[in-house]
Amino acid sequence: MNPTLKLTVIVLIALEVSFTQVWTVNVALIVVGLVILLLAHIRLRTLLWLTAVPLFFASALVWSLMLRGNASPHFLIVLFTRMFVYVYLGATFTQTTAPLDLTRSLEQNAKLPSKFAYGFLAAFNLFPKIRAEVATVRAAALMRGQVLHVWSPQLYFKVILTAMTWSEQLADAMTSHGYVEGAPRTYALTIPLRSRDWVYFVGSLALVQVGLCLGLP
Amino acid sequence: MATVTIQNLTYAPAHQAPVLRDLTATFPGGRFSLLTGPSGSGKTTLLRFIAGLTPLPADAQLTFDGQALTDQPATQRSRTVALLFQEPSTQFTMDTVTNELRFALENQQVAPADMAAKITAALDFVGITALRDRSLMQLSGGEQQKVALAIIVAMDSDVILLDEPFASIDPATRQTLLTRLVQLCHQQGKTIILADHDLSGYAQWVDHLTVLHAGQLTTLSATATQERLAAFTPERLRLTHVQRPTATAEACLQGQQFGLTRNDRVLVRPQDLKLLAHKLTLITGPNGSGKSTFFRALVRLGAYQGTLAYQGQDIQRLRRRTYARHVSLMFQAATAQFLNVTVAEELALSQKYGNATYFTPDRIQTALEQLNLAGRDQQIIYSLSSGQQKKLQLLCMLIMAPDVLLLDEPLKGLDLQSVQAALKLLTTTQRDLHLTLVMISHQLGGLNDYVDYHLALTHQQFVYQEATP
Repeated sequence: MNPTLKLTVIVLIALEVSFTQVWTVNVALIVVGLVILLLAHIRLRTLLWLTAVPLFFASALVWSLMLRGNASPHFLIVLFTRMFVYVYLGATFTQTTAPLDLTRSLEQNAKLPSKFAYGFLAAFNLFPKIRAEVATVRAAALMRGQVLHVWSPQLYFKVILTAMTWSEQLADAMTSHGYVEGAPRTYALTIPLRSRDWVYFVGSLALVQVGLCLGLP
Repeated sequence: MATVTIQNLTYAPAHQAPVLRDLTATFPGGRFSLLTGPSGSGKTTLLRFIAGLTPLPADAQLTFDGQALTDQPATQRSRTVALLFQEPSTQFTMDTVTNELRFALENQQVAPADMAAKITAALDFVGITALRDRSLMQLSGGEQQKVALAIIVAMDSDVILLDEPFASIDPATRQTLLTRLVQLCHQQGKTIILADHDLSGYAQWVDHLTVLHAGQLTTLSATATQERLAAFTPERLRLTHVQRPTATAEACLQGQQFGLTRNDRVLVRPQDLKLLAHKLTLITGPNGSGKSTFFRALVRLGAYQGTLAYQGQDIQRLRRRTYARHVSLMFQAATAQFLNVTVAEELALSQKYGNATYFTPDRIQTALEQLNLAGRDQQIIYSLSSGQQKKLQLLCMLIMAPDVLLLDEPLKGLDLQSVQAALKLLTTTQRDLHLTLVMISHQLGGLNDYVDYHLALTHQQFVYQEATP
């Protein structure tokens, strides 16, 4: 499916689920999400993480509401399942879409200015670098006799400083390879926006509406 | 073929003395110009102006065959001029080699149908077809520079600027790249301006050396050029005093069945290895062979196979804090080492936790003067030139005086005078405090008198070398 449409439909569904309280739809979405993830050959380890983390937070939330609040069991089930809907839907997107494809799609299909599209890509590519940088900064500090903890402001000062340097370097790198803001570009790969993408888009939204209408009292 | 003309270029960074003073120069089209000058003399600044990365001051003029860069359509500027950066990893936007090449060609509005042929031709020209689908972040510095050159070839830029492109590159790769550049210059009429400290290997290609000094450019006569280049003849790069360690020599770091891999690629096949105490060991090896990875493993920043022991104890069992004070790494990227903002703050931090009895304020002041860093106390570290940062980084780590100091390219980007000052400081401190130094360096000039052992990493094995006759 076209990455931009895929992202849009997932955001729309997540928004709708936030404002409605139909646990059957939530469960249906979880099942659909799970099936897509399995079809995409998700690694078992990733799937376990994706299940364990929301399980912890959902259980904690429901448990605290049971102890303190006077929420109905129906509401608790909705809350519990909603957490999984968010995580699984998000995962169906990230597990099946390469960031570069999304960037290209945003630039070509959504007509987003290339500046933002590539800015997004750069931010994405930066995450592993930031993690490595944090480890390096801490090691460098130890060698100088300073212990930087997770809460040390100096650690973040240093990482932010590095990130700022990276952003300048990135701007230079883009310029030196011929990128000019706002200038027309050609596309090495065209991300197609087929009518079948629209069918999936409208179809899945419609299905959710039907489910919500049936489920609502 | 494009002639580069610069007129009346004056540039001073905020609150500092001018780096370029009313500079006027012409770089003839289709020629190979070699630009040299002490660290901090403004070579990078000048190249960034020519590349159009820094906007020109109002009264300065810069033209390519009489035309200013800003008068050209935006998408065509990269066809006129391109810059290859000093720091290999910082010049890419995308994830893989092909994607980066595509990105550059898209910017030039090349038709998608023509891209594949251009990409293949460029990769072939540099001889890196095998790297086509590799991730850029997983390539070594030398490989990244080759990719960067391939991109410039694909963009077909008339003027190619290179800012110390060989700073972290082994001699073999350097020779390959240099041959390719000369080919671009002679066969395709490209104008090449290359900034470098290390002047070895240029004698046959360069007639007139361009020197940037005190903000002005001067072109040396053919005789003066040959004299300057002769100071770097390969004869002086030999290591005549090194020897193989004896069996009884005291080791401070020992590896047992030590092996290294990166992304499923074997860097070092499991072997026993020792690094000798109180000596200066030089590690050499081709780009991407795993020298820096080895250092990162030694300071517990990377995974390895087998065991590593420091003074007989497994380094994984030692407390991280204690171990970091005994075995420290001077990172290849100088900024990774700094934790503060100004030069004075950074020195103060080292003095606080380091060997303050040896490094008295007087001694530090003398060292700063030797390194040509005096009077910069209040300057922000990140506004120093890369050479100045490197020297400050070295001083900061020496003040810490760890038992074992691992130095990853400590001489990178330093001019000959700075190399000598740095080596003098390094060896004096080592002798006085009985430090163990292990150094990775591609730059061998000036090292001969100081190196005790030479450990070469070739064919995935570390082997101690005999002296070269």
